[in-house]
Amino acid sequence: MKSLELILFIFTIGGIYAVDRNNFKTCDQSGFCKRLRSFKPEKSQYTLNLDSVLVHGNVLSAEVNTIDTLTEKKTVLWQYTLRLSALIDGTFRVEIDEADPLYPRYRTQLALDGEPKPDKLQLVSSENGKITIINTQGHKVVITAEPLKFEFLDKSGDVAVVLNENSQLLVEPLRVRREKNSDDEEGNAENALDVEDETAWSENFKSHHDSKPRGNEAVSLDASFPDADHAYGIPYHTDKFYLKTTTSAEPYRLYNLDVFEFELDSPMALYGSIPVMYAHGAKRSVGVFWHNSAETWVDVVNYADGTVVSSLVNLVTGGAKRRVDARFMSESGIVDMFVLLGDTPSDVFRQYVTLTGPAPIPPKFSLAYHQCRWNYVDENDVRSVDENFDVHDIPADVIWLDIEYTDRKKYFTWDVEKFPHPAEMVANLTAKGRKLVVIIDPHVKREAGYFVHEDATDNGYYVKDKDGKDYEGWCWPGSSSYLDFFNPVVSQYYRERYSFENFPGTSKDVHIWNDMNEPSVFNGPEVTMPKDCRHYKSAQDGQDGLASFWEHRHVHNEYGLWNIKATYEGMLQRTNSKYRPFILTRSTFAGTQRYAAMWTGDNMAEWGYLAVSIPMCLASAVAGVSFCGSDVGGFFKYPEAELMTRWYQAGAYQAFFRAHSHIETKRREPWLYDSATMALIRDANRRRYALLDFWYTLFYEHTINKLPVMRPLFQEYPKEQDAFTIDDQYLLGDKLLIRPVVEPGVSSVKVYLPGASTSTLWYDVDSYHAHKANGYFNQEVTISKTPVYQRGGSIIPRKERIRRSSSLMANDPYTLIVTLDVNNTAEGTLYIDDGETYEYRNKKFIYAKITYELNLMSYTFVNENASYPTRSWVERIVIAGIKTPPKTAKLHQGNKQTVLQMTLHRGNDVLVIRKPGASMAQPWTITFTY
Amino acid sequence: MIYSTWFNKFNSFLLIICSFIIHAQSDVPRPRGVSLSKASLYSPTKDFTCFDGTATIPFSYVNDDYCDCFDGSDEPGTSACLNGVFHCTNAGHRPQNLPSSRVTDGVCDCCDGTDEYATPELCPNTCEELGKEARAEAQRLAELYKAGSRLRLEFIEKGNKKRTEMAEQLSQLEKDKAEAEKIRAEKEVLKKELEDKENEALKVYREEEEQERQRKLEKEKENLIKEAMEHFNRYDSDKDEVLTVDEIKPVNVFDKDKNGEVDEEEIKYFFGEHEKVDKDAFVSTTWPMLKPLLMMEQGMFKPAEEHEEAELDSEAEHNADVDAEYTGNEDNEDADDLQQEEVEEQEQEHESHKPKIYDEETQKLVDEATEARNQFSDAERTVREVESNIRNIKQNLEKDYGLQQEFATLDGQCLEYEDKEYIYKLCLFQKVTQKSKNGGAEVGLGNWGEWAGGDNNKYSVMKYTNGVACWNGPNRITVVNVNCGMETQLLSVTEPYRCEYKIELSTPAACDDSNTSQHSAHDEL
Repeated sequence: MKSLELILFIFTIGGIYAVDRNNFKTCDQSGFCKRLRSFKPEKSQYTLNLDSVLVHGNVLSAEVNTIDTLTEKKTVLWQYTLRLSALIDGTFRVEIDEADPLYPRYRTQLALDGEPKPDKLQLVSSENGKITIINTQGHKVVITAEPLKFEFLDKSGDVAVVLNENSQLLVEPLRVRREKNSDDEEGNAENALDVEDETAWSENFKSHHDSKPRGNEAVSLDASFPDADHAYGIPYHTDKFYLKTTTSAEPYRLYNLDVFEFELDSPMALYGSIPVMYAHGAKRSVGVFWHNSAETWVDVVNYADGTVVSSLVNLVTGGAKRRVDARFMSESGIVDMFVLLGDTPSDVFRQYVTLTGPAPIPPKFSLAYHQCRWNYVDENDVRSVDENFDVHDIPADVIWLDIEYTDRKKYFTWDVEKFPHPAEMVANLTAKGRKLVVIIDPHVKREAGYFVHEDATDNGYYVKDKDGKDYEGWCWPGSSSYLDFFNPVVSQYYRERYSFENFPGTSKDVHIWNDMNEPSVFNGPEVTMPKDCRHYKSAQDGQDGLASFWEHRHVHNEYGLWNIKATYEGMLQRTNSKYRPFILTRSTFAGTQRYAAMWTGDNMAEWGYLAVSIPMCLASAVAGVSFCGSDVGGFFKYPEAELMTRWYQAGAYQAFFRAHSHIETKRREPWLYDSATMALIRDANRRRYALLDFWYTLFYEHTINKLPVMRPLFQEYPKEQDAFTIDDQYLLGDKLLIRPVVEPGVSSVKVYLPGASTSTLWYDVDSYHAHKANGYFNQEVTISKTPVYQRGGSIIPRKERIRRSSSLMANDPYTLIVTLDVNNTAEGTLYIDDGETYEYRNKKFIYAKITYELNLMSYTFVNENASYPTRSWVERIVIAGIKTPPKTAKLHQGNKQTVLQMTLHRGNDVLVIRKPGASMAQPWTITFTY
Repeated sequence: MIYSTWFNKFNSFLLIICSFIIHAQSDVPRPRGVSLSKASLYSPTKDFTCFDGTATIPFSYVNDDYCDCFDGSDEPGTSACLNGVFHCTNAGHRPQNLPSSRVTDGVCDCCDGTDEYATPELCPNTCEELGKEARAEAQRLAELYKAGSRLRLEFIEKGNKKRTEMAEQLSQLEKDKAEAEKIRAEKEVLKKELEDKENEALKVYREEEEQERQRKLEKEKENLIKEAMEHFNRYDSDKDEVLTVDEIKPVNVFDKDKNGEVDEEEIKYFFGEHEKVDKDAFVSTTWPMLKPLLMMEQGMFKPAEEHEEAELDSEAEHNADVDAEYTGNEDNEDADDLQQEEVEEQEQEHESHKPKIYDEETQKLVDEATEARNQFSDAERTVREVESNIRNIKQNLEKDYGLQQEFATLDGQCLEYEDKEYIYKLCLFQKVTQKSKNGGAEVGLGNWGEWAGGDNNKYSVMKYTNGVACWNGPNRITVVNVNCGMETQLLSVTEPYRCEYKIELSTPAACDDSNTSQHSAHDEL
């Protein structure tokens, strides 16, 4: 939505559009990042006590010690425990914690979709200081005891991932704070970490002080990926999709922040953080998931990168240029690394989603078009925007209300002057199948008499400051406090706020936008909450003082996740779990996909921000969050007609499709542009609606196959080196290839068509012209053209009767687009349900497979015991790339047989079957004779 | 783009009138969704040819829920064609044309329910009821217009009267102007005459003055040379009538940068390329450079910069004051010009009023000339004032007060509207302002710009433009929708777009019931 610009307005004059970097830390300004980045021991101090190794079930556990490597005596400096577990689907987990920490160290709570499922683990050998274990899939792990190193082998026995190869494993032990010059029992230990720098017990950034009551507690681990050409992931950044070497630059930063006017091509932190990284080469794909919610920095070294010193490459890789190293550094927590052994890109993306959970099927409307602005000012404005979509015949599903709808930023209330009849307003929208989304931010206005504030104050529901008092920050409402969702009682309280009774004017058709949930605190350090704020921790015996709460530093990146989880559950509760909630979140973390869609935050009406929406959403999708989009048109500034047109055309092919704009900018609803531009926007929206069932099917399939909806080319074409770095085009499922035009004034764009080795054909969806895949070619474009290609061999369902909103299209007939491959076959899928409830769990759905071959086209149910009484039918079948047309076509459904009419378009080898009329509620076949 | 419901209702009432005629003959058989005027194009006995001529299909393909024609003409009664049009007769109410996408979508768009033919129970026929309501509303509006139009006639009368008055005023002013110009010419002649006399008399005095001035100048020059020579002699230590480099080196005052020695650069500064200077060169070249330094040393002289800056500041302040006065008020300009000129004149007078004593006769001539000058400037001012009045009246006469001058009496009338936070004020044909209830200055939301209604109804919308600029944004503007009402008042003020205000105004001036045919052209589809 927006960030703290109102505050900034007070301090800045004129419209300078650029991030103020001074507000955000560099690695050098972040105590642990500076400390850890310079930590480069020649040899790791960490060793495994071979005598302590125990294999039980799927877990190998052992003692790990740091030893003094400087002397011969090998004095044990500190004791740790190691747990290495084998998990299903080629995944291992490595956890290293202190054996007896002074206080419990934080273990991230919400990222995982429950406890990961175990695989079996077997000890293969223990000899020469090495232990070898194996899972049921044949992946081996070789653990070297001294110095400690983990080598994960692929199924053919080659090393795929190495942990601590670069000796950067580190768990800073928790210490008792010592007065200067006083001895205590640890005082003699000669450990590099014993030299406490001045930042150990407090840090300052600008005018902000961090009291650091527990001292240093950072963790770090490096991972090496032999044979990898590139690494990907760790969103969100505005850089390329593939990760760059950071040796002589800032590391990639993961710390959820409200970055006002964020800049392009930057590794700076943004609103969301998902600490999963993938490494891919022609040989294999692997990944690591760094399970940590504290501030995290990630260094990357790609050995193929020109900036990496070649002698280093030779030294480490023996001359081989293909390798990527990464290093994760976090301020607190434990070392907890999941290793995903692939070995294809799809495997490794699936393995990550297996851990953090797939996104549930979204309510169908949420995949349609959303119209937002900060702000639609009153009920008349909402009505007028709603009516104008109909006047101009542009489909739209959702109108959004930003913060101004509330009674002076008190969430769960309405401004009674501007929105006196919210229920009528909603009814007016739903009469045409439309929905409303309203914003609910996690900050709470500190105003006497405001029920949320009173309840939270009386019952201690707020996050506390370092001294245990209610923390007060500054946000939209002015002085604000923040609910502590970590407390189950608070989350329950928050869930109840969403009931129709407590939030009058809302209904099942009003959905929720949780913005500012990094959390954004205008006057806080880096515009967020101070790290020494206190969160709830469930009471345990003997844990008091510093052990009785978690600090914000431990949990920061998952704060937003707790927020949306409570919202999600509240929205389920309000309809007795009948209807699916839709939530949009700005803050993201591993696991966000289980609750919400996300968007890329407060972007700008500039071409660069349109372009970067693709790599950002690709990174999001492979990190589990497929439901990603950017503010169409740009949030700040005003998009001229061409940029606006291109943004709609691009947005129509991104999962979350919403136009949004800043309160200070010129209004820009489609009809406010010239009629030619409006017609182009209408066309873009109609294209989206025509493909809505395809999108919906992809999101359903994600719940089954856990794969991204929006895919990088290399996911489907993992051997094509040229495709590894492509991030201006992408695939939807494995069927559509999209190359949005994100450049001004162009008459052609370069498009890469993959799959040459398998003679793949790509059909231009506008002309059905078939291109043979052969790498790059120049596609001519006009302002109305978005290059989109359907893969030969695929079938895509469309609905070509575009209504005012998606729900009005539920019973409409399908057009099936069949594009033939070189073998004259094709296949596709279609998922149908009611689009809004959980009845699909009661087998009320259709998941159908559609196949085409020379003599037969068939529509069959994959789940034969599931069904849905849809009234939709097939009105048209378009077969592209047909060389010899059939003479007759006959439909068989139930006992009925119908002879069908066909028209052949010679110009482009397209055969159209006229009005088969088959019901989609039952299987059918069409037989052809020649 | 936001029409008030009120205005919509008005539109619909006019449409109903037309619809009765169609209703009377709506039972000609034709395919569903076809309007009467197109019925003849659908003949069940023939194959159907798409309107665009691109295809001919069996008549059974018409309305068979499959789109065969690019132009959608084969499916007037289904949703099959994306670009098709569905016609509902809505017997008892007004007919409608819908995009085909609204057919069988579960939303009742036609009051006769025909757009949802597949589920007849979904949409009961509400045309009679709606028609009745619409007719009642039409009736109400018609009465309002009728009553309003009587008031409007008064407005027209007053407006025309006002304009006539203005025209009369104008011709009077033109006469006044001629008269004033005549007086000015007379006064000018008189002034010239007397000034000539005065000049003649003052000539003697002027010559005396000139001589005195010359004497003074020469005296000053002499002093200068004398002073220079004194210094020359002081520095010319060997008394050879020539000043050398060595002679000036020990003299402090030549040490321009005060660094303790007279260096090459400083010598060059005073002596140019020469090794020495003689008396003449010293007086003419060196001394003028040296003197300020000497004075500075003696503390008699300070660099002038500070003083100048101070002056500039006060000037800037003055300008700022003037700017503030100008804001949004062009009429002030003339007045200001007058003021400024007066100030200048006063200054001149002030200078010439040096306490000089003339003989009695001369003094009399001077006094007479002064009197003539004053009379002339009075005459000039009168001309300017008349001209300014003429300009104002002409401006008003040029303002578009409607085809029949029905809005003329409203010019200058101010109306207020209060909401939760602000008091808005619209002074018709002048300006719009907003004032916060919590105090603070009035903010200009626009000055009278133009009529901005569509081609059909120019006088339905007023536009006030060029208000105070928004922070980091455009200048504020206000759009005023002018509706028929028995009273001239503001119905609402909103800010639908940032810095774009919308006012709903009602006034009898807008109750033009003779002109209704224009409104009915507003059919949606």
